Amino acid sequence: MKWYEIISRIDRRIIYLLLTFFVVLPFFIPLTIPQNIMPQTQKLFDFIEAIPQDDKVVLISFDYTPQTMPECRPMAIALLKHCFARNLPVIGVSYDPQGPGLAVEAFATVVDELNAHAVTREDSLVYGEDYVYLGWKSGRIAALLEMGENIKGVYPRDHFRNAVDSFPLMQRVNNYKQVAIAIVLAAADYPLDWIRYPQTRYGVKVGTGLTAVMAPKYYPFVQTGQVSGMMSGMKGAAEYEKLILDKGYAKELGTAETGMNSQSMIHILIIVFIILGNIGYFFARRKKSES
Amino acid sequence: MILILFLLSIAPPTDVRAYDKPNDAGSAIIIEWNLSPDDVRVENYIICRRVAQDTTYERLGSTMHGVTEFEDDNTDDSKTYQYSVVSSSNSELSFSEWSNAARSYPHVFHTGRINVLVAIVIFGVLLGYFITQARSGKELFIRKIPGLAAVDEAVGRATEMGKPILYVPGLGDIDWTATIASMNILGEVARKIALYDAPLIVPNRWSVVYTVGKEVVKEAFTSEGRPDKFNEDYVRYLTEAQFGFAAAVNGIILREKPATNFFIGRFWAESLIMAETGAQTGAFQIAGTDSVLQLPFFVTACDYTLIGEELYAASAYLSREPLLLSSLKAQDYGKLIALAILLGFTVLSFLRVNVLSLLEVQ
Amino acid sequence: MKRLLPLAVCLVMGIVMIVQFFSPHPVSLQFNSMILKWVIILAAFAMVLAIGNLIRHHGIKIQRHKENWPFSIVTLASMTGMAVIGLFWGVEDGSLFQKIYLNIFAPLSATMFALLAYYMASAAYRAFRAKSLEASLLLIAAFIVMLGFMPFGQYIHPQFPAFAEWIMRVPNMASQRGINLGIAFGAIATAMKIILGIERSWLGGKE
Repeated sequence: MKWYEIISRIDRRIIYLLLTFFVVLPFFIPLTIPQNIMPQTQKLFDFIEAIPQDDKVVLISFDYTPQTMPECRPMAIALLKHCFARNLPVIGVSYDPQGPGLAVEAFATVVDELNAHAVTREDSLVYGEDYVYLGWKSGRIAALLEMGENIKGVYPRDHFRNAVDSFPLMQRVNNYKQVAIAIVLAAADYPLDWIRYPQTRYGVKVGTGLTAVMAPKYYPFVQTGQVSGMMSGMKGAAEYEKLILDKGYAKELGTAETGMNSQSMIHILIIVFIILGNIGYFFARRKKSES
Repeated sequence: MILILFLLSIAPPTDVRAYDKPNDAGSAIIIEWNLSPDDVRVENYIICRRVAQDTTYERLGSTMHGVTEFEDDNTDDSKTYQYSVVSSSNSELSFSEWSNAARSYPHVFHTGRINVLVAIVIFGVLLGYFITQARSGKELFIRKIPGLAAVDEAVGRATEMGKPILYVPGLGDIDWTATIASMNILGEVARKIALYDAPLIVPNRWSVVYTVGKEVVKEAFTSEGRPDKFNEDYVRYLTEAQFGFAAAVNGIILREKPATNFFIGRFWAESLIMAETGAQTGAFQIAGTDSVLQLPFFVTACDYTLIGEELYAASAYLSREPLLLSSLKAQDYGKLIALAILLGFTVLSFLRVNVLSLLEVQ
Repeated sequence: MKRLLPLAVCLVMGIVMIVQFFSPHPVSLQFNSMILKWVIILAAFAMVLAIGNLIRHHGIKIQRHKENWPFSIVTLASMTGMAVIGLFWGVEDGSLFQKIYLNIFAPLSATMFALLAYYMASAAYRAFRAKSLEASLLLIAAFIVMLGFMPFGQYIHPQFPAFAEWIMRVPNMASQRGINLGIAFGAIATAMKIILGIERSWLGGKE
């Protein structure tokens, strides 16, 4: 076989083998592929940076699913690290039935990591004082509207069946007036309900973390200012991880960065294969027309 | 001092009016008001309600400053209510005059959907016109759709090779229009298969689609005079799990090596998994879906792809029945009218005439 | 009669449900709610038929020792096992059913999903050849978008990522909307054809 026939007909098993190698490589050899920060990610980061401490809380709605964990979980982790590093209390809610398990896992991951390095009790994160997870609620729109009047009326008990009134954090948070921003992490159109209802009626600031497929739909909202910032896909998560690392809020990059390294390697590999295939195709066509 | 206090006190909103919420099932009243002259100082507007002429009232809810509307969705249709809107700032409250009395009631016809009714009537008229044309014997031209023109070739290929034909009717349930269109095409394809005597495999994700598909194939064989050729095993139920279904279809493709694969219906992320497996076995593949995001994968992996509405035209194209062809014509003219309306509204928007609300479906 | 009855039911119910769309009255809403419940009941009955078909298909394979028949035993055993476990030990959080779901089924689904990456690579390698003008345009657009969404894109030109985003947001979105418009009309036409009895292929057989 001629060389151009070989490169235009590479066995797919070789492609799969190389793909596997390059996906796994960044997990063993740390690569530092510099990330460019998209404006919408920077906007969200800057918003949280500007929230005054000892004033308001950050509300995070965990609405992603196990299928979208690779994209959305790193966003949740990075956001929580950012908020806790700035001493901003966090209240978690969920409106997707699959959200609670993932929310509890995200909180546990970040809290355990930060508490492992805590020296005094003041350094530690305490449930009920620094963060609360209220859990899942059905009747999403009614719940979103009612929280504008009284959050404790919607969630008399948290996800773990504790009385919400008993938490020091919840004693000073009554409704959206005490919420600096509501950030929705989702793979479906949940952010649209936050914009339509709580934001329109109560002026709540809304931020989002969405899968890459969903993100283009919300660019107009970022442009009009209805969304105060957005992370889109694993790239958005990787950008946010870099931002908090540069600011000293994290000691190392998270899983999104490693995922993006793998993704970048694969993109390059696919581009190389396509180029090789086309070179082989053109030479074969030229030989055929000559003969 | 009194003057200072007077200047500092906050003014209430004015002209509070209440009316029944239109186009609903009752139990809702809309309250509107003009902003307080001191709106910038207002923290929020509190909405209060009383049964008409009653002395006691209750607090309903609140909105932030700058907002001039509120919906009370908890009314009793047998009672009449009045509303007052209160400016609130630093514990200072300023009540507006009570509104007119309003009562909620259920509506029979949704006036916000008149534009949909008009569109249906226009489309119905077009359909009626072209059906009349078809019945009068007029020849209706339809352009060649390569994917559908290849169906005969696809079925013939499988017969010559002595291998089965795989027909995947998508992963949507029977309520998806694409699935219904797929069932229509399955009927036509099954009739050709009955003539050519090739084995057929129709895997299904949903139980209702399985039962409909089985009847469609059985009737198709019967209508071609080959009821004995129908095999119960042709139409199979696999699983409702998305990737379980994809794995099972992959297994069928790799084990039974069909010569021809049809992927017609509604698909999601599993589309490329099945199409690429078929491509690797060298099968001839025709795909058709209305899932726009999956079209690129099918275009890449299949020999022919029916894009969007070509899927819905397939049944008419394959059967060549005049009545069905006439509906295609009506469809095309409907699109032309929609295009004209869109262009017209775009021009009006440039001229700053905003009539987009006419297109809104409430 | 065999064809007339389903056509009549289809016509009546089709018109009734169209009328229901235009009426917000509580009676209309209750009717809609009732219909939705009946759909669920019908699906449950259809499930009995579907499971029967599954058992029959694999049962015959086992009985006749057809090719790969041991896998049919696995299929039937898994299906029966999960049904029994769910019925007798419950399906709530922490139950055996949930554990099997989370530790076996979910990872298997994720594995199948992961296959997409490999298939995309082999499909792209095989199909992205500049055989014509349209194919060349597709190739160039794919390169721009892939490079633009990578961190390296900014090193080609600082505005390269923004250009890639523009391709996704403008021409790509415009063509998607065009296709969606056509699909919408096709769906309306198909629905009307079926309700009015013009389209009868779903009944199977000729006129």
